[in-house]
Amino acid sequence: MIVDVALFASLASFQPDGLPGRHSRPLEFPEGFTISQVISALALPDEPRVIFVNGRHAEESTVLREGDRLAIFPPVGGG
Amino acid sequence: MREIMRVNMSDLSIKLEPLPAGWARYGGRVLTSAIIFTEVPADADALGADNKLVFAPGFLGGTNTPNGGRLSVGAKSPLTGGLKESNSGGQAAHGLGKLGLAAVIVEGKPADPSAAYMLVIEADKTAKLERVDAWKGMGNYAVAEAIKATRPADDRFSTITNGPAGEMGLRASGIAVSDMKGYPNRFAGRGGLGAVMGSKGLKAIVVSDKGLSNVEHADKEAFQAAMKVFANALTSHPVSGQGLPTYGTNVLANIINEAGGYPTRNFSDGRFEGVEGISGEKQRETTLERGGNVKHGCHTGCVIQCSRYWYDKDGHYKTKGPEYESAWSLGADCGISDMDVVAELDYTCGDLGLDTIEMGATLAVYMDSGAIAFGDGDAALATLKETVTGSELGKAIGDGAEATGIKYGVAHIPVVKHQALPAYDPRPIQGIGVTYATSTQGADHTAGYAITANVLAVGGTVDPLKPEGQAALSQGLQIATGMLDAMGFCIFVAFPVLDIPEAFGAIADMVSAHTGETWDADALMAIGKEALTYERLFNQHAGFTAADDRLPAFFKEVPLPPHNAVFTVTDAELDSVFDFVPETAAGLGIS
Repeated sequence: MIVDVALFASLASFQPDGLPGRHSRPLEFPEGFTISQVISALALPDEPRVIFVNGRHAEESTVLREGDRLAIFPPVGGG
Repeated sequence: MREIMRVNMSDLSIKLEPLPAGWARYGGRVLTSAIIFTEVPADADALGADNKLVFAPGFLGGTNTPNGGRLSVGAKSPLTGGLKESNSGGQAAHGLGKLGLAAVIVEGKPADPSAAYMLVIEADKTAKLERVDAWKGMGNYAVAEAIKATRPADDRFSTITNGPAGEMGLRASGIAVSDMKGYPNRFAGRGGLGAVMGSKGLKAIVVSDKGLSNVEHADKEAFQAAMKVFANALTSHPVSGQGLPTYGTNVLANIINEAGGYPTRNFSDGRFEGVEGISGEKQRETTLERGGNVKHGCHTGCVIQCSRYWYDKDGHYKTKGPEYESAWSLGADCGISDMDVVAELDYTCGDLGLDTIEMGATLAVYMDSGAIAFGDGDAALATLKETVTGSELGKAIGDGAEATGIKYGVAHIPVVKHQALPAYDPRPIQGIGVTYATSTQGADHTAGYAITANVLAVGGTVDPLKPEGQAALSQGLQIATGMLDAMGFCIFVAFPVLDIPEAFGAIADMVSAHTGETWDADALMAIGKEALTYERLFNQHAGFTAADDRLPAFFKEVPLPPHNAVFTVTDAELDSVFDFVPETAAGLGIS
């Protein structure tokens, strides 16, 4: 299945193609992959993170589906 | 013993008075709000002789407290009609604090309406009013340069200045405060305080703290110990220790956009297709390419270091940041995705002395009227520059989003208590909607920053799309913010304070060690409640009712993509946010 994976701030450099610029990429994963399996596959650092699937907060145990947008942020804040 | 400097613009007198004993625990916001509540009639004309403009460093201002250098500026607001406290970073708060001044109160009105004055406060606490008529109409950057030319080369001073927008009485005008390099780029931006300063004939204040040391603590060792705990919390929390120093405040653009709450084209969409161009990540990359600075503090003692300077394509300083709120208002809300265009607009607001949040929201409302197109940066800049020409259009724009929306017949005017909403749509992020609706300040994100638990997973989590728990979240944050603003803390200390229990304890320990009295959590929170109570009662006296604690109807009626959310917190819940006021007012003996 194809999932649109967006990695932001300090996590952006963990995209498999290693290219800077745009934050999101369509990536292929086996059917039934969970967010935590994607995190392992991308070798994201073991640090706190804020995760959205299709614009809503999601737990790492969430099973992804074809066409989902997965966005992962390190803890950020501002205003 | 801290003192109050009272500057009367009617008879041009300057007097020092002891801080009243009842206000000995007050500083920053709780002091400016107490003074306005006590000394300004609620029905005063905001631009008349009866209004007062109060500058107060936080209670810990002038000390070595980390991130303790905020300056509160208070008055009756010409924009909201209520009691306004707008606070700013920059160097002036520490200067006033080191001088032992709890507040500077500017009152009255000059007999000669064409006069412009500079208040000069020397490090020995002598002060005088100088005529600076030749500076009338000058932008903040030119005034800062002109002030520098009047000072001895070895002086150490900060500036508080008013641009032409404030001199013209425009209701979206703010007051500029100099940063560590002397740039007048930090702002008490909201609520039209520049217009109040202009009405007093005051063009500038210069505060010299040459040779002055930090304010002493009653128990220096205990203070150092508590300060260490506090500073460690600030630097170890991932938001204040990594995200903010690396990317600045605009690191928020992508996450608020992802959450579907990034107001786009006058609050008609929750996502902006051009967000990458104005995101904090892109901003950092471009700033580094151009040799700009991406990490410094806006005031001495800042350990977070979220400030940065934007450089133009030729490698010259253009403006600060731009900060998240400004990049959003002048960017996404106007449909503009080019950071150089945003920076030009930001610089222009800063030089003219206009609130970037109000101005971006205003330009977006004007675009929504069809007069100019969303995304047209040239037209936006030309419209912004109209504000100081005296034209009919310029006056409407300079008076803010509501004035512009009414004049040009726009249906969706995003304001509460006449002040424009900041950079988070309250439909998919309902906690911030409670703050916008109920804050004494009008729509103001900093008054109770529910984005923390709603979006950022800081200080717990509260589902942003549901009404449950939002009123309690906003209430707790509004009280805590009242306290932080009274102490003079940068609001960003809230990120570690909400997550690290020792950090909150360290605030109580620092205040205790500073004063030699015992301050616990209840004492701190009482200060926050008292600040809000002065403001709430003043607003009631000025005519505000529960009907003013509401969002514009379209937020309840028009679904916002992508979540097709509407604001669903009930009126009864909104009316519960200030349920502590009667008890606090009784304790203060005010009504």
